[in-house]
Amino acid sequence: MAGRTQIPTKNSALIAMIADEDTVTGFLLAGVGNVDLRRKTNYLIVDSKTTVKAIEDAFKEFTAREDIAVVLISQYIASMIRFLVDSYNKPVPAILEIPSKDHPYDPAHDSVLSRVRYLFSAESVASGRR
Amino acid sequence: MEDDDRCSSSNPGGIGQEEEDEDGKVLRFLDSLDSYLTLLDALSSTLRQGWFELASARHSMGSSRISSVLLDQKVQSAATTFQVRKSIDGSPSESHPSFAISKWASSRNGKCSFRELEVSRVQKTSKNSELRHRGSSNFYDTTEEHDLTINASSTISDSDVQKERSKSLSVFGTLVSPKLRGAQVSFETALDAIVEIANIRSSMLSAFTQLQQEMKKDLG
Repeated sequence: MAGRTQIPTKNSALIAMIADEDTVTGFLLAGVGNVDLRRKTNYLIVDSKTTVKAIEDAFKEFTAREDIAVVLISQYIASMIRFLVDSYNKPVPAILEIPSKDHPYDPAHDSVLSRVRYLFSAESVASGRR
Repeated sequence: MEDDDRCSSSNPGGIGQEEEDEDGKVLRFLDSLDSYLTLLDALSSTLRQGWFELASARHSMGSSRISSVLLDQKVQSAATTFQVRKSIDGSPSESHPSFAISKWASSRNGKCSFRELEVSRVQKTSKNSELRHRGSSNFYDTTEEHDLTINASSTISDSDVQKERSKSLSVFGTLVSPKLRGAQVSFETALDAIVEIANIRSSMLSAFTQLQQEMKKDLG
């Protein structure tokens, strides 16, 4: 999968964020905030009023943009759009699920680890033994 | 079983080499999986520190002074950016992206300078995988820091970095709490962890793909 897809070389690429207010504020303090001429930002602050559709649209937009290298998404927000996150398989931008203040990181829900868990499942071991 | 014996006797080196390669791939995958989990744990700690400092700053400065409402909607470029390159492990067909970070790059006066953090172990194209040293979980042990400059006069200076940091802090007012500065440093550290996690993730998925192909070959 990784070998066949073209990997674009990017300089000065951005990091996109879909997270709660404190997480986004913190990373903006670290200098990753970007607002382009169309007033489009590289972040979405998710609160209680943010709809799942808005999160989905932001995820689709950030993963389609060519100037974004990494998309950071709080794991609990990723769980709201789990189907979309799990079905994403491009190498760039990389999707990283991060913990949030109220929801610690759970490896069981990480989409990357779910993908590779197959190697440790009973089915894969049994098929290897046949 | 007899076929295996005949094969191994006629070509003992070949099968041994294949098994070694497969073992190497398995080890590479397991090492990157372990690193991924360790780095996420480190990231969680760093983020917790950052959130705590942000909460302390909000407590001392007031909730209205640290709010998303104040975030600048003026056109601005990110001061911290990423670079994506193609990294090759083993065969040229198995390439995967590698990420690097440029912190507080200053391009206002036409000079471009940056500092890159690379995970040297992830980008090595070594055929022999080594067991990772099971020591402290300090991920900085595995990183190399390179100072790259575009030309001789464009070295990043601490004062440039401080200017960029102050500009970022100025969104929340002229006088800010030291806790807010502390939060800024914590989130900068978190960004370093994120770059490493992105590289480890990329390497892990590449190793996983190679293992899947090996398994299909064995079954087929």
